[in-house]
Amino acid sequence: MRILVILRRVLDPAGLVAHARLRRLFINREEYLIEPGDHAALEAALRIKDGGGAEVVVVSGQPEPDDDTLRRGLAMGADRAIYLSGAGFADADDGVAAEVLKATVERLGGADLVLVGMTRLDTGQAQLGPRLAGALGWPQIVGAWSVEIADGRIRAVRRDGDDYVIVETDLPAVVTVPAKALEPRYPDGARLINVYRGEGGMAEAVLQWDVADLMDPEGLVPLLEGRGRDFPPERERGVRVEGSIEEAAQAVAEALRGRRPG
Amino acid sequence: MDFALSEEQKMFRAMFEDFSKKEIAPVAEALDHEETLPLTILEKAGRQGFLGATLPEEHLGADLDFVSYALLMEALGRDCMSVAVSLGTHVSLVAMSILRHGSEAQKEAYLGILAAGGDGGRDVRLGAFALTEPDAGSDTSRLQTRAGMDGEEYVIDGVKTWVANGEMTGLFLVFAEAPGGMTAFLIPADTDGVTVGYREPTLGLRNVPFNTVYLEGCCVPAANRLGEEGDGREIAEAAGERMAVTLGAAALGVVEDSLEVAAQFATERVQFGVPIAEKQAIQNLMAESTVDAEALRHLVYHGAWQVDRGGGLGSVGSVVKVFAARVAQQVTNRMVQVMGGYGYMEDYPLARKYRDARALGLIGGPTELHYVRIAERVFAGRDVAITP
Amino acid sequence: MDFTFSREAKALRRMVRAFVEKEVAPIAAEIDREHRVPLGVMRKLGKTGLLGVCFPQEYGGMGAGEVGYCILMEELGRVCTSTATNVGAHIGIGAMAIHVDGTEEQKLRYLAPLARGEQFAAFGLTESNAGSDAANISTRAVRDGDEWVVNGGKVYITNGGYADVVTLIAVTDPALGARGGVTAFIVESDWPGFEVAREEDKMGIRGTSTAELVFDDLRVPHENVLGKVGEGFVTFMKALDMGRLTLGAACLGGAQAALDWSVAWARTREQFGTQLAQKQSIQWMIADLATEVEALRSLVYRVAWMVDTGQPFTELAAMCKLYGSEVASRAVDMAVQIHGGLGYSRDYPIERAFRDARIAEIFEGTNEIQRIVIASRIFREHGVRISP
Repeated sequence: MRILVILRRVLDPAGLVAHARLRRLFINREEYLIEPGDHAALEAALRIKDGGGAEVVVVSGQPEPDDDTLRRGLAMGADRAIYLSGAGFADADDGVAAEVLKATVERLGGADLVLVGMTRLDTGQAQLGPRLAGALGWPQIVGAWSVEIADGRIRAVRRDGDDYVIVETDLPAVVTVPAKALEPRYPDGARLINVYRGEGGMAEAVLQWDVADLMDPEGLVPLLEGRGRDFPPERERGVRVEGSIEEAAQAVAEALRGRRPG
Repeated sequence: MDFALSEEQKMFRAMFEDFSKKEIAPVAEALDHEETLPLTILEKAGRQGFLGATLPEEHLGADLDFVSYALLMEALGRDCMSVAVSLGTHVSLVAMSILRHGSEAQKEAYLGILAAGGDGGRDVRLGAFALTEPDAGSDTSRLQTRAGMDGEEYVIDGVKTWVANGEMTGLFLVFAEAPGGMTAFLIPADTDGVTVGYREPTLGLRNVPFNTVYLEGCCVPAANRLGEEGDGREIAEAAGERMAVTLGAAALGVVEDSLEVAAQFATERVQFGVPIAEKQAIQNLMAESTVDAEALRHLVYHGAWQVDRGGGLGSVGSVVKVFAARVAQQVTNRMVQVMGGYGYMEDYPLARKYRDARALGLIGGPTELHYVRIAERVFAGRDVAITP
Repeated sequence: MDFTFSREAKALRRMVRAFVEKEVAPIAAEIDREHRVPLGVMRKLGKTGLLGVCFPQEYGGMGAGEVGYCILMEELGRVCTSTATNVGAHIGIGAMAIHVDGTEEQKLRYLAPLARGEQFAAFGLTESNAGSDAANISTRAVRDGDEWVVNGGKVYITNGGYADVVTLIAVTDPALGARGGVTAFIVESDWPGFEVAREEDKMGIRGTSTAELVFDDLRVPHENVLGKVGEGFVTFMKALDMGRLTLGAACLGGAQAALDWSVAWARTREQFGTQLAQKQSIQWMIADLATEVEALRSLVYRVAWMVDTGQPFTELAAMCKLYGSEVASRAVDMAVQIHGGLGYSRDYPIERAFRDARIAEIFEGTNEIQRIVIASRIFREHGVRISP
């Protein structure tokens, strides 16, 4: 049983300040998180590993090779890490990324399950999982709150409004996981230290593959094109209602009447 | 100049110390843990005349001069600063404000009851002082509590926080913004629209109830206005000056007793083969603290003497308050250190004294605000704009 | 010179901070109020490996060294001094004594479960007549065949109420005294003759257990002698050196938190029409404290680096503890002052921090003892032997 988990890094929104008047986003503190959905997906993978054994491989294409994303994955308990180097993956849109990941799965000699976060925290994009399933020709489950493997099939719990729905499919499959689905575990202290020091077999656990070796550069042409950023229009200021309760109620009622459509 | 206490003042001092040792010292720890100030203690204090300490005899007071009153606060402060702060609020802030600024009718109506701690029943009541608001801590120039005129009555609305004696009071002295400016009002606790709310859980001074008080459409006759409209600031400032000396006296008490307790400990505690009192480091802590204590003593008595002479204290009140707060915090802190682990345990009195003393930097105006007042005096007449 | 934290150290800090924010911060007020040791959090810390942060991996540790341990203590100190104290007593002195002088068997048997948080440790040094004067201990151990029989008691033992393993020292040869006559032992708290006599009621760090231990014919196998017979004092002083450094790190966290709260409040709170941050009184406090905090940070991590690189550091560890505890106390005092009533109320964390911070000037050797350690090292270089 091999599970591939995709780990993307996103800028920690706590370090950002939006300046509405200047219509600009300032980075006060540049820190990166593992995309929370991916983080939860890794937890799901590790629980499968804890339950019945599995090899968990994390894959990332962050811009710098010594970035923390893969190390965090290894410290949490992943067995191997694949760093996809070179242009083309780190900033790729979901369409291109799906093709790169398909090539990665093939190079790896196949996988039984691919887990990835459902929706990106920063861009809100949610196509990576579905597009990857399409590219691989595998079944997919979108938005799994929990994942189990039984009798060679995968069983997941999804939310449908207030209901929980249990869905099943055959392996191999692609499953996407919402950010709040599972609480990721803390890293293991000793593993964390070994990962950073490259001790305890951790140096050998990291593979570096160049995207250019994986696939034809023509497949790396982005489907989307960025044309700038904009801010939503500023909200209208509210009105402070003064006076006694009766007067205030009257004023609110009049204001509402004025707004009633038609 | 004469720095000696009169025979009468010495006699009073002995009496105060006796009362405090007998009635308060034995229960001080328990009261701190239970966070209560029992009525029985107030009743006894009332019987001794302490609740009307500085009020004239015609209003059932003990007619003490302010120096003697400071000796009372010092004696109480030795054993329990909480009791001193509660009584000080009652006498210096509430009763004496009425005495100094009230009409004959108001004095007649309230002072006797305040001095007796109630209207003859067993239900002892203290006066409470309601100035601070959620957004007006140091800056009382922006009170949100409003007093509007409705016929012959004022209607008062607002929220007061950190009202000392709040839940055990019979009478609030409330400051509100009236049409003519900041104004003081006497509002009996049973007036409709007065609600005593949340009690602050405090680091120290745990027997003093500091409450939030809500005033909602609270109607009081114009006769309950203390002084004229717009006199509120002057009344509050005069009360603050008296309280500064009162707190200074309580601080002196806590400092003296802390020194005493720690000196005894240092004499008995043997380390490295000798009592730690024989170590220079300990001697220095004691000596430094004694210097502070003596300086504070003279500053406090001097302030009290000046109150007796009448007129305003001006920035002297601030000087007393700042120095008292600093000395009380530093000395209790040092004495905790002298006692080591024993100083940190709640079974010994130093921990409580240290927690209590920390309040002095905050209540009655924080040190930084008093610095502004003192700076105003320093730069008076020099065409310098002092803004807090 | 390179003063940057390694990526490993940064990753460790991120891990610790995530843990502390999620697991410790939400219970910090509650364990103080309820006077409860957060055993669940301690076990969880153990599961992540953090309780073995500075111990080698072959004994269940992380192998992150002293820098890693200081990071853990700083982050804990930022949020909950009680938890930092529990962890410090467990790792920094209790288990540390085994780490510094334990045999291979002792480390496998005792250190490994301690590093994994399956068991907890305490450090039994202080006695009622041997506080600062640690050499004056009177707990006695007498050899009886393959065993030692221990009689006596210890006081103010942090973690004493729940520790599974206690490293303690006892007199084995009264004639030789501290030099050669005192031996360290590893004992288990469920052995017959080991008794927890009482728990102390403290002003702060109320989420810790400070216990009095009594040993009544406690039989300890000879293999549990820690270090060499007669040289227990040396073992204990080595452990204390480590403990002092990391106590300084916990103080750094506490001071930083007090600074952060104060800056945030000065930014929010308006008085006299401007933010407190616009007032020089406040700016100076913040500037002075920020300077001290930075100085402390440099000291703590430099000494941690010295430990990790095998340099002597005894007096520098004493400086970390001395300076750290004083900076932390000043920091929380300032935070109380800037927050005013909020700082004095038990509803906010500053009040707890104020009570908690005070212990650091007292325990693990009072600051007076630290000064003696520092001075004696300095004078020794100049040929002067000083006795405390």
